[in-house]
Amino acid sequence: MTNFIDYLLGGFSNGAVIALMALALVLVWRSTRMVNFAQVGQAMFTTYVALTIQQETGNWLLALVVAVGAGAVLGVIVFFLVIRPVKNSDSTGAIIATFGVLIALQAGAGMIWGGDPQGFIPPVDNAGLEFAGRIWPISLYDILVLSVTAALVIGLTLLFTKTSLGLSMRASAFNPEVARLSGVRVNRMLISGWAIAGATGAIGGVLIAPVSTISPNSFDILLVFAFTAAVIGGLDSLIGAVTFGIGTGLVISLVSGYSDSGNAPIIALVLLALNLLLKPDGVFGHHGARSV
Amino acid sequence: MKYVLPLTHPLLAVENVSITLSGLKILDDVSIGVPEGAVTGLIGPNGAGKTTVFNVMSGFLTPDEGSVRFDGKKLKHIKTHHLTKLGISRTLQGVGLFASLTALENVMLGGSARVKSGIVADSLGAPWADSAQNKLRAQAMEIMGEFGIADSADRYPGELPYPVQKRVAIARSLISDPKVLLLDEPAGGISASDMAELGRMIRSWTPERTVLLVEHHMELVMEVCDLIWVLDAGKVIASGTPEQVRTNPAVLAAYLGDDGGEH
Repeated sequence: MTNFIDYLLGGFSNGAVIALMALALVLVWRSTRMVNFAQVGQAMFTTYVALTIQQETGNWLLALVVAVGAGAVLGVIVFFLVIRPVKNSDSTGAIIATFGVLIALQAGAGMIWGGDPQGFIPPVDNAGLEFAGRIWPISLYDILVLSVTAALVIGLTLLFTKTSLGLSMRASAFNPEVARLSGVRVNRMLISGWAIAGATGAIGGVLIAPVSTISPNSFDILLVFAFTAAVIGGLDSLIGAVTFGIGTGLVISLVSGYSDSGNAPIIALVLLALNLLLKPDGVFGHHGARSV
Repeated sequence: MKYVLPLTHPLLAVENVSITLSGLKILDDVSIGVPEGAVTGLIGPNGAGKTTVFNVMSGFLTPDEGSVRFDGKKLKHIKTHHLTKLGISRTLQGVGLFASLTALENVMLGGSARVKSGIVADSLGAPWADSAQNKLRAQAMEIMGEFGIADSADRYPGELPYPVQKRVAIARSLISDPKVLLLDEPAGGISASDMAELGRMIRSWTPERTVLLVEHHMELVMEVCDLIWVLDAGKVIASGTPEQVRTNPAVLAAYLGDDGGEH
């Protein structure tokens, strides 16, 4: 039982990062109705940017802020250079284009920062906290990760439900022509969606880097988990992405704890397959939300 | 009000517009004027090109020849999202509501172009962005109250009866305080009593607002319009007062030739 609780607790902070990546996928889906497989590549790239800032200045917060800005800018760049030209073609073209971006970013990062895994120093202690006579599998850093994630999720929810920008973004995603008739600048909303998604992914990257390491391919596995969480959550649901992002983190932790961490991706894919068989619209998805 | 054709200063007009889509001439040298402060009808058998005229006016389609004039100015490359700023608001066939937004949010969206807080202010949840949004919400609630649909504010369109959805769509067009309303078949799918109400509502907007109405229900068109244009197969075949149009032989021929499928 102690093992079970420990594995479960140990999964939360990982789950939070998966939730952030899933959120980024959902944000892009909401704005342009496509899955951005380059999302983790963008996050990897901006995490390298953050790493460089941290190595130069030793300031974690500055590194995070720069990564967020870089993430937003990179999202917009990818949108303009790659996505806009293929946006109106069939969805396969868009998927291939995002994979192309992923590969290009990984190659680019390898050329700039090299292929060897590098460590990222956490801003606070990452050792298990001692409390009530034992060491728990949750560190100060995990608490920081969870707090940042919670704040971001609350902020995004408020943005989408309480602001004019959020309203316009939701409308643009659903029916661009009608949104235009209501005076919404739809293209601006698509760009905003890609920028916010890029920034969200960047935060996820900076948060996970100290726990794993960073190399051009180190976030690939994160894509599998985040994609699973986003799809099970319904692809257009923020709350779905967060719930199943954290849920996926817990499942991975349990699977890794009881068997071998190498089994985790397989379990994720099994969950994905089960979801598609049993509830293809996703748990939080509206029916038809995924039809293009 | 009587309007003498040709109109000297129409508020909104298409001038000599021709458009060909996939080899078919949809509009052939069409000129239509909409006088300020009046209700103008645009009628014709199915496929006559009525909605195409709306699509040209709202920038969905760019004509091969001809132009759109508004308030005396020629509009080049109409950007659809600029229409509400110009003071032109369009409703769509059916309802065209956002299924994933509540009725209130649908109405608010119609006025959101006037809310100027900006992306950064919105993202940071700045207080002035918040107050602008609250003002918009209050305004939307007020209009919904006038339309008798305030109790449906937090429901999704799919949960509402069709006539209520129609009112939400019209409320969304009105919240931007437009000079011109382009109504595309507003009476489609509603009952006779709702239609009488709709007719009164449209009349009540004039002369402050100008209306261009595409509609199949002839009794509504004849009742509310000051001026009517008749399209058939992409050409204007008649225009005038309801009385003139009703007795025009070319109009009768166009409608009778349409398998009697029109109302």
